[in-house]
Amino acid sequence: MSYFIKKMSRRKIVQALIALPALSLFRNQSAVPNPNGIDPDEIVEVNGWILKRSDLA
Amino acid sequence: MIFDSYEAYKQASFKPKVCILGSGPAGTTIARKLGAAGIPVAVLEAGSREFSDESQDFYRGTTVGDYYFDLDITRLRFMGGSSNHWAGWCRVLDSQDFEPKAWAPDTGWPISRADIEPYLREVHDILELPDFRPDVPISDDIRWVQLIKSPAVRFGEKFADELDRSKNIAVVLNTYATELAGDGRRVTGARLWSNGQDAGAFTADYFIACTGGLENSRLLLWSNQRSNGGVVPNAAALGHYWMEHPTFQGGNAILANYNEFEVDASNEAFFSPTLAAMERLRILNFGVRLIESPYPNVKRLIADLACTAPDMAEWMSSQLDQRLRCAAQLYVAWEQAPLASNQIELSKTDVDHAGVPRIELHWKKSPLERRTLLEGLRLFGTTMAQKNLGRVRIDDWVSNGGDYPTNEETAGHHHMGGSRMGTDVLKSVVDANCKVHGMDNLYVGGSSVFCTSGQCNPTTTITALACRLGDHLSKVITV
Ligand SMILES: Cc1cc2nc3c(=O)[nH]c(=O)nc-3n(C[C@H](O)[C@H](O)[C@H](O)COP(=O)(O)OP(=O)(O)OC[C@H]3O[C@@H](n4cnc5c(N)ncnc54)[C@H](O)[C@@H]3O)c2cc1C
Repeated sequence: MSYFIKKMSRRKIVQALIALPALSLFRNQSAVPNPNGIDPDEIVEVNGWILKRSDLA
Repeated sequence: MIFDSYEAYKQASFKPKVCILGSGPAGTTIARKLGAAGIPVAVLEAGSREFSDESQDFYRGTTVGDYYFDLDITRLRFMGGSSNHWAGWCRVLDSQDFEPKAWAPDTGWPISRADIEPYLREVHDILELPDFRPDVPISDDIRWVQLIKSPAVRFGEKFADELDRSKNIAVVLNTYATELAGDGRRVTGARLWSNGQDAGAFTADYFIACTGGLENSRLLLWSNQRSNGGVVPNAAALGHYWMEHPTFQGGNAILANYNEFEVDASNEAFFSPTLAAMERLRILNFGVRLIESPYPNVKRLIADLACTAPDMAEWMSSQLDQRLRCAAQLYVAWEQAPLASNQIELSKTDVDHAGVPRIELHWKKSPLERRTLLEGLRLFGTTMAQKNLGRVRIDDWVSNGGDYPTNEETAGHHHMGGSRMGTDVLKSVVDANCKVHGMDNLYVGGSSVFCTSGQCNPTTTITALACRLGDHLSKVITV
């Protein structure tokens, strides 16, 4: 479970983030609709987390 | 006037029209209203000016069912009552709390919130509250509500000088009303215990029981037993429908911007359901309280999220770098279903020093409440995600239907019901004016008259109801 955190320092995560295309999360705009008809804004409950389907990408 | 003993009071030859039992928020507020209206009132207070173990011992009792606090810990027995250690969280019951809910039996009050609103200005002065802001809907399902942390007014301290100076109010300390005597229409007197012994009968034209949300039922049950039903002639509901606000940590949240919801120095924010959401899901009212998480918890939470939604966890890690406040523990306090089986009984084996049976409290949380907790957290989590305000993780014990944790807050020390208000004498004890059904001169003050509990702390509503009762009696009683 803590593998991800152990593996990457926080500095590295931030650097990686800068390099990544901006995430749609926490921004007041919907993610691009999925051509398969899956709604990225659909709310799902996974391992106790209440997430948008797009969070699972 | 304040008398430190019943002996001292007797020397004063004061002739009260009204006798109030108990000097907590309810009793003190009613006394001040009556005193201001020129009505002579005696306030009999079982305890003294200070805490004492001897006085607290009269409050011991037992609980059957779910774990609950010791009954001598969850309240205080001296001048000012439990206001001597209340936390000061204030909010009035919502309008919807007064309305019957088709999906929850025995809900609904015979009054509406509009009936107590005229008294809220006075309540704000008494509790030293700024004005409440209106609720902020953040979705169709969830309201961002306000609880104000008042300076936690200690009624005994705040009003001691005023009560001492009053010519119309006599506060009589160390004077325990062990029982009321009645003939089925009127209370004819109160039996007193003072200085370690029986102190005879006390008479007045009117009596108001304000001994707290557990003790009112005990006093009335014992009085009724001793006078063969002469004090509460319609006693079917007496002691029943007792309620608390169960309170547990039910999850955690990662927030996009914690500051968005900051309310005050206490750093906590509160969320409740809309009536439409309660109706749709057939649940009760609840309050989700956000409490800022300590840093190690945040790391654990993000690590957990990384297993399910790695991108999201990355984003959160970056947030953590930029600002330290980005996660919160979610505490949920919820409305209890009013159940006749949650009740105060008199112990058959255990009595206090004055010979009065102690309380046996029967208390269990119901399946409807369990559903309220789970669905409430889901509603809150869904709103947070839909509005991109954050993400919520519900604790496993809540999702999986596990046992309630034993190392948690458990409840609010809010003792409600037992002599509830209503029109049906089989399901209530007092009428809309807090007068005991069938009795001409017996009233009840405090949260024992609550029909439902809502989700918020009770003392603001108790004080409003006390102002209302004081006003009503000022008009009814002629001097
Ligand atoms: C730890 C704690 C925290 C709390 N925090 C909050 C909060 O943040 N917000 C909130 O709204 N509420 C809070 N409460 C609840 C609040 O304290 C009560 O709702 C409030 O004090 C009830 O007022 P009352 O006048 O009805 O009863 P009480 O305050 O219980 O007063 C009853 C009085 O009657 C006296 N008495 C009892 N029996 C007799 C008798 N037979 N004869 C004569 N006198 C008698 C007692 O000594 C006492 O002085 C808290 C309570 C506790 C214990």
